[in-house]
Amino acid sequence: MTALLELEQLHYRFPGSAEPALRGASLRLETGQRVALLGRNGAGKSTLLLHANGLLRPSSGQVRVAGAPLVYTRRGLLAARRQVGLVFQNPDDQLFSASVAQDISFGPLNLGLDLAEARRRVAEAAALCEVDDLLDRPTHALSGGQKLRVALAGVLAMAPRVILADEVTSGLDPWMRRQVVAIFNRLVAQGVTVLLATHDLHVARRWADRVAVMDAGQVVAVAPSAEVFRDGELRRLIGADACMEG
Amino acid sequence: MHIIDRYAYSNAIRGVDPAQKGGLALIAMLLCLALEQPAVGLLTLGWMFALATLWARVPARAFGRALLAEGPFLLLSLVGVALSVSLAPLAGPALRLGPFWIGSSPESLFLATRLFTRALGCAAALNFLILTTPLLDLIELLRRLRVPETLIDLMSLTYRAIAVLLESLQRMATAQDARLGYAGPWRALRSAGLLGSQLFLDAYRRSQRLQMALESRGLAGSLRVLPLAYRRDRRARWFGAALAASLLLAGAWR
Repeated sequence: MTALLELEQLHYRFPGSAEPALRGASLRLETGQRVALLGRNGAGKSTLLLHANGLLRPSSGQVRVAGAPLVYTRRGLLAARRQVGLVFQNPDDQLFSASVAQDISFGPLNLGLDLAEARRRVAEAAALCEVDDLLDRPTHALSGGQKLRVALAGVLAMAPRVILADEVTSGLDPWMRRQVVAIFNRLVAQGVTVLLATHDLHVARRWADRVAVMDAGQVVAVAPSAEVFRDGELRRLIGADACMEG
Repeated sequence: MHIIDRYAYSNAIRGVDPAQKGGLALIAMLLCLALEQPAVGLLTLGWMFALATLWARVPARAFGRALLAEGPFLLLSLVGVALSVSLAPLAGPALRLGPFWIGSSPESLFLATRLFTRALGCAAALNFLILTTPLLDLIELLRRLRVPETLIDLMSLTYRAIAVLLESLQRMATAQDARLGYAGPWRALRSAGLLGSQLFLDAYRRSQRLQMALESRGLAGSLRVLPLAYRRDRRARWFGAALAASLLLAGAWR
């Protein structure tokens, strides 16, 4: 079976930086998985996600979406981004419109959908993320948790098959975190794969069925979460020993 | 800005097509500028106050406060027109201040009155518009009027950036204040300078992240979004007709 998203041996160094950010990182995602991506700050989690979405181009290695290598042209990138959605850590970096409804409609319209279909997608994504009552509100009047859910809806409205979320649960209170995790679960039930880069070991342990561990620009392990939390070396890498959790 | 924004989003005619509200304000402003009689400006003020408070249900206080904020600018410009300053004695009543004579004449006073009422009418019309119509809807109106997309995108990004940067600004200022950054005028000045440069850097980094986020959602040159839906209010047309008729009457009366 071909994987939904495949990152193979990615190498990348940020311009002007001495150390490479990725040194041969590989990851494979199948349909309907719940994956947590763990690793300390600077391990390369965000850089890896930016590659999966075609925002960064590896110096060597390959990104494959549904078996097809990512082509770095306008059309190729649009085709990949239609399948792979990326939610950023700070919703204020992602929300550009002062209108919630207009912001969510941005992605669908870029896919070339007509207005009626785009409207349908906005309503659907808003309902899924429980922001349908906020559609007429100005973006700047929303709370942090509401902004995050609107940002998520903006990505879901493009109907991607993989959602990559970068640290979105950090800074949320437990109730809000549970609400966001519930949205992820609904997506997984629809066959969407969700990958959550996080430091939240509680979420990684209780929610994810697989945990990928990054260290120094490489994915050093991908395994069922119970296994990762049993392995002494991996526990050290994800910081399970450094905190009271686990 | 916060007060204006709050009422713009919560008034009773928030959902009315911005073209109708903008049309009313435009009629008022054009007639104010075209007609000479001071009564026109005052009548416009009355009309706009009535439309804002009775039709849009904006509290009279909010309307008054917006107008008061503009007042000092208006008065400052009036002083220049109403008073003349000269080194030589002036015809008519004048006040001597050292080597200067400060005086006024009936003509300049009349001119100042006309300017004042005219500006007051126009300001009231604009206040009616911004207190009842969020900037978002005004941008949407410009979009419909086929203003170039680049300008529209710039306006909407700027409007959003104001909210985001204000938040950053408050956070940074609080952090400085917590470390006594504003104890004493010199330290305050230094802190404010640091704040300015940091805010610039912050805005720059944010713009890069925003660019990435937009690209990941398939940015295709311009920021295409769904048009907003509005209701049309039949009364707006009658208001427009009555407004124009009454202002024309006031302008013709002498």
